[in-house]
Amino acid sequence: MCDNYVMRSTRSVVAAKVAAVKYDPGTGHYSDPPLLVLASLAKGPKHGHAMIEDIAGICGTRLGPGTLYGAIARLEQQGWIEPLPPEERRRPYRITAEGARVLRAKLTTLRQFTKAGLQRLEALCV
Amino acid sequence: MRMNDRLAHLLVRLYPRPWRERYGAELEALLHTGRGDLRASANVVWSAFHEHVFPTPGLKIEQSQFQSWCVRAPWAMFGLAPLLLLAAAYFVACFILWSGWKLFLPGANTPFVPIDGLAIFYFQVGRLIYFSAPILIGWAIGLVAGRQRLKAVWPAVGWILIALVGGTAQVHASRTAVLGGVGHIRMGFALGPSVHGIPDGLFHGFVILSLTVLPYFIWRLQKTHFISS
Repeated sequence: MCDNYVMRSTRSVVAAKVAAVKYDPGTGHYSDPPLLVLASLAKGPKHGHAMIEDIAGICGTRLGPGTLYGAIARLEQQGWIEPLPPEERRRPYRITAEGARVLRAKLTTLRQFTKAGLQRLEALCV
Repeated sequence: MRMNDRLAHLLVRLYPRPWRERYGAELEALLHTGRGDLRASANVVWSAFHEHVFPTPGLKIEQSQFQSWCVRAPWAMFGLAPLLLLAAAYFVACFILWSGWKLFLPGANTPFVPIDGLAIFYFQVGRLIYFSAPILIGWAIGLVAGRQRLKAVWPAVGWILIALVGGTAQVHASRTAVLGGVGHIRMGFALGPSVHGIPDGLFHGFVILSLTVLPYFIWRLQKTHFISS
């Protein structure tokens, strides 16, 4: 009886957490700046400000200017994005073939992880 | 609210030069167009600090002015500069010894006598500079070589030079025969007496060399282990 109580109690906590994720847009933010930049550039070349707005639209995460350029610098040095000719003082970037391959691999792993995680969560909540 | 030009310029100046030369103008333009609140400023300050501690790989090697000096004139960076630094440190140490002699031991024929009170602290500062200078300079050579990912040939030349000078350096103090005459401090370099067939100067040089090279070798071993794993 006690075990049953604990089990029910745990279920209600998990259910409450799932509900919180569902209704609180702040809880579900995802922040991996290089991956977000790659995902943003997968839609086409963009400059810094457009990337920030696009990423905010995709997942609700608004990257700071320093964080964004930290990610851009590392991605460019790795050869995963490349700069295009500047437009006035702003410089657009585009994803390279290697960058697209890396993005695909990372997203595939994430999809498997997400799928497994959600299945486990559903099994726990039923 | 947009960030004002002056603040944006100042924030970008916080980044290391190689990073600033490549991305500074773009980041400044973004700061002009984006939100200019406290959060954005704090984010840039933190990112600049992060860039100093963990520089973007590739940027530093290609564009750093300091690195180009290491490549263009390694004899100056690893030979001349350490020797000049060591000479400056020895000059300061000798000046402390000479001035302490005049201040605390005006009647003594040599400053190397038992002392007490404030004089102990004063002379110890000089001793600390004298004995720690070769080791600190050796560590600095290792740090530069490590950060710039250079081969160990020129740093080794610097370490050997510093170890030889540091091991064989001797300080001599003498006073003129005239009563109340001025005391003189001079430095010389000698191997000194031998113990078990090994000259004292060489032994001291070997100790300095070991102490200075050790951190660099630990770093190289860790790096090799990291790459192989």
